[in-house]
Amino acid sequence: MQIVSGGVTDVGRVRTNNEDYFRIVAPLHLFVLSDGMGGEAHGEVASALAVETLVNHCLEALDNPAVTLYGEQEAAWSEKTKRLSSAAHLANKKIFDSAQEHAEQHGMGATLTATWIEGSRLSIAHVGDSRAYLLRSGTLQQLTSDHSLVAEQVRQGILSAAEAEESQMQSVLMRALGSQAEVEVDAEEHMVMARDILLLCSDGLTRMVIEPEIAGTLQSEPDATKAAQKLVDLANDRGGSDNITVIVVRIGAESKGWFSWLRPGARKHAAGNGTAGGR
Amino acid sequence: MAKLSLMFENRLVKEVPIGSRPVGIGRSPDNDLPVDNLAVSNHHARVFFEAGRLVVEDLDSLNGTFVNDLRVERATLHDGDSIWIGKHHIKVDASGDVPIAVDSARRKPAPTINETMVLDTKQRRDMLQQAAAMGERSPFAGRLKMPTLLVLSGNSDQKEYVITSKLAVIGKSNLATVKLKGWFKPEVAAQINRRDDGYYIGPGDKTPLVNSKPIQGPVRLNDGDVIEVCGLRLSFAFRE
Repeated sequence: MQIVSGGVTDVGRVRTNNEDYFRIVAPLHLFVLSDGMGGEAHGEVASALAVETLVNHCLEALDNPAVTLYGEQEAAWSEKTKRLSSAAHLANKKIFDSAQEHAEQHGMGATLTATWIEGSRLSIAHVGDSRAYLLRSGTLQQLTSDHSLVAEQVRQGILSAAEAEESQMQSVLMRALGSQAEVEVDAEEHMVMARDILLLCSDGLTRMVIEPEIAGTLQSEPDATKAAQKLVDLANDRGGSDNITVIVVRIGAESKGWFSWLRPGARKHAAGNGTAGGR
Repeated sequence: MAKLSLMFENRLVKEVPIGSRPVGIGRSPDNDLPVDNLAVSNHHARVFFEAGRLVVEDLDSLNGTFVNDLRVERATLHDGDSIWIGKHHIKVDASGDVPIAVDSARRKPAPTINETMVLDTKQRRDMLQQAAAMGERSPFAGRLKMPTLLVLSGNSDQKEYVITSKLAVIGKSNLATVKLKGWFKPEVAAQINRRDDGYYIGPGDKTPLVNSKPIQGPVRLNDGDVIEVCGLRLSFAFRE
């Protein structure tokens, strides 16, 4: 699989600090995003701690697969899925412990949406209301469930999707990293195919830009980083009420076709891909 | 005013308005909406307003009450929902009530609770209980219905497929749930995705037909829908 990715984060038009944080570990096809919360600068601490803890735990496990697994894992999951889930549990513990130790950090927390692609398998670990989407043949499908009160009410049939969008309670989360000593982590696996586009984003995008617009932008802009930037710009044009972070991952065709070596850029891409991230 | 329309094989049988009194549904003639079928219990279910919401409640019926393919004991109803009782279905028309304006072009940056917050366990329990009291959609445990595709005609590797993943593909791809055979078949002909409110079929490199009509974007599949794509005819059904 040829995988090209790009990420952009922006403070938005209203907030003064950016509590979102993301990392792209391109050689591993590991993509992680977190949206922090908590007064002062503590949201920033929480999101950075979440992402860095997760990435470090995954890197450590590559060197030494025997590293302890945290939390509960299902036997049927792949190694990558188990590791992502474990890393999310560890990140929860780190944030919770830090908040216990430092009184001023009380109440800090973070969402976490992490994806890892190995071959054609996509592993996801997720807590909170950031989202992962898959665009396949023009259809944008949300892969993660929002752990927000309104989303829970929609699942129970109490609210319609339209009512949920109008709700004043959108910022109320049912689950986040760091708020309890233990957290329930959603982990799942999907198959990805050539031409799929994976999108990770914080709620700063999805509160401002509707799904058909997201799908349209991803389809019309072939460059991953430019597509991410366009989505961020769109959210800012609409008011940018929150921090906005977008990671776009384009999955290309496998290069073993008959004439693949003739295709421009077929090999160029494999080399120059490092790590990106920040806020 | 909100109303219920009892349908049998796409024919309208009876229409009743929903007022302040509950609408009783069942085989016995003393119901507001009598349904003459042996699969229907004497007093099968009732529909009523509660706290401004339309609620359906199963009255311990033998064969169950289904809202949009999900078996429920109690569920909040929305405009356009279908209640299935035996082979009859009841269309819910709540459009006469306060309409919900949907501004689809642009979302309001609305939240008054602007800072994101997490509910602690007690708050969470309380809020969910409150929500449950307003009528929740609780599928029956143990009698889970699995979405299934039955092959009616065409060339495929199996006669029946149970959809277990959130993203199912019909196509030639090795990763497809329903594998198409033959030259010139597309990798992804169509896709079936699970969402919070049901299963949706969307186009791939082909536009599938649902009940002989080409779809415009993803549409929700109902029990008994017939899907046609790439020479394959499939019936979508929920099976226990």
